[in-house]
Amino acid sequence: MRYQMLISKLIIHIIVGAGALFMLLPLYWMVVSAFKPLPEIMTVPVTFIPVNATLENFRGLLTETFFARSMLNSTVIALANVVLQVFFCSLAGFAFAKYRFPGREVLFTLVLGTVMIPQYVTLIPNYIVMGRIGWLDTWAPLIIPGIANAFGIFWMRQYIATVPDELLDAARIDGAGEFGTYWRIVVPIIKPGLVTLALFIFSTSWNEFLLPLVYLRSKELYTVQLTMANIFRVQYKFNYHWAMASAILATLPMGILFATLQKQFISGLTLGGLKG
Amino acid sequence: MGEFIGFRNYMNLLQDPDFVRAVLNTIYLLVLSGPLTIGGGLVLAVLLNSQLLRLKGLFRTIFYLPMAVSLVVSALAFTMLLNKPFGLVNDLIIRQIFHQEPIDFLTNPTLAIPTLTLLIIWRYIGNDLVIMLAGLQSIPTDLYEASRIDGASPFQTFIHITLPLMVPFILFDAILTTVNTFNLFAEPYILFGTEGGANQAGLTTGLLVFRVSFKYFKFGYGAAMAYLLGVVIFALSLLQLRVGQKD
Repeated sequence: MRYQMLISKLIIHIIVGAGALFMLLPLYWMVVSAFKPLPEIMTVPVTFIPVNATLENFRGLLTETFFARSMLNSTVIALANVVLQVFFCSLAGFAFAKYRFPGREVLFTLVLGTVMIPQYVTLIPNYIVMGRIGWLDTWAPLIIPGIANAFGIFWMRQYIATVPDELLDAARIDGAGEFGTYWRIVVPIIKPGLVTLALFIFSTSWNEFLLPLVYLRSKELYTVQLTMANIFRVQYKFNYHWAMASAILATLPMGILFATLQKQFISGLTLGGLKG
Repeated sequence: MGEFIGFRNYMNLLQDPDFVRAVLNTIYLLVLSGPLTIGGGLVLAVLLNSQLLRLKGLFRTIFYLPMAVSLVVSALAFTMLLNKPFGLVNDLIIRQIFHQEPIDFLTNPTLAIPTLTLLIIWRYIGNDLVIMLAGLQSIPTDLYEASRIDGASPFQTFIHITLPLMVPFILFDAILTTVNTFNLFAEPYILFGTEGGANQAGLTTGLLVFRVSFKYFKFGYGAAMAYLLGVVIFALSLLQLRVGQKD
């Protein structure tokens, strides 16, 4: 029995270990390649550990390409998304959770319905509308249409529904206006939910690829993801060294956020996903 | 303003070899990657829950790691990893360890979808794991207790207790995977380019909608394509909501 247990233990560790190795290999290779000069990257036999380790790829990336500018652009866009969406989604969620008004259920169903419309379907009509407004080649299409984020509104409504009505009534009796009630009572209570939502919005915006690809033309407006895809393949030349260095720098902000707030992010994903 | 052409765009779609190609490729991708990510996620979740496993937290973090990486980064990492001849897999594993000829993962048409599958497993298995671990938590522990007392082997327990109770979660995950696969864009775009690589072997529906609309600027035709696919995805999402509401 003990012997059998040991065997199962070994088998489980081998399977999970092999899986973990498969998960780590691409990341390991990406990281070491970023520290190799281009000729070493393209040499056979490959070097498992860089022989001529260098920071030159990072220097070249930051000085000879638009990458540094793109990092800044993506940060601005992501932060704008976070601030606007968190604010408006929590306000809308507050209204749907705590106010009775005619058509509430119908409106909420409509909002939820938009979650199920694939990005595909809205892409072309949105593009035409943005063109008419004159917003092509600006950041506006990456920020403005997403403000009424249906997932965010749904998520906030669920969260705010747990706030006791007595607290809100007490605030009103004490003379707080409707916005004051939201700002001073609701917001402090739902802070954990706001953080999860903010993280979710930041990562979605930071990692978005299709929208910037469709809307942005000028290189100085490019987001990180777009610049990465762009510097990797220039005509028929592959800039593996810059691509790998940029991949590391572009992952760093998400990695740090994810590591510090991992628990909340995962529970947020599960809850949001399962209730989708 | 163009003239009104009724359903002509939709009619043309069904005779468009590119469209048929993209749909078939996407279905092939789904058939290949779906069972691997869903089944793999379930098995992995059971193993990660096992009393016998050490370092659970570390392993879990490792499997979640790729979710923190953007789609573009993951596609770039794979082009580096699977490159011929100087990718790690081709040179170190295939040539030096197994003494075989390098494999053309990225440009051989027959391997386009399998290569994409590898990338998808890597990038998305963390998602499946989250869903499956949540599902396993919903199974009452006394059921396992009872089956252990009745002398069931771990495998029998998995087949007769875990699997039936996990069906709603497996279904939910299956629909999510289907929707994600039809929406896939960044990965094939980086790996194979807008044309989908040699013979369009890596052309997926997401890639084709983009190409038709934003490379050839045939908005009407692109929109027709998007709506047809959108209806399919929308129907699947409705189904997903149904399944999600059941528990």
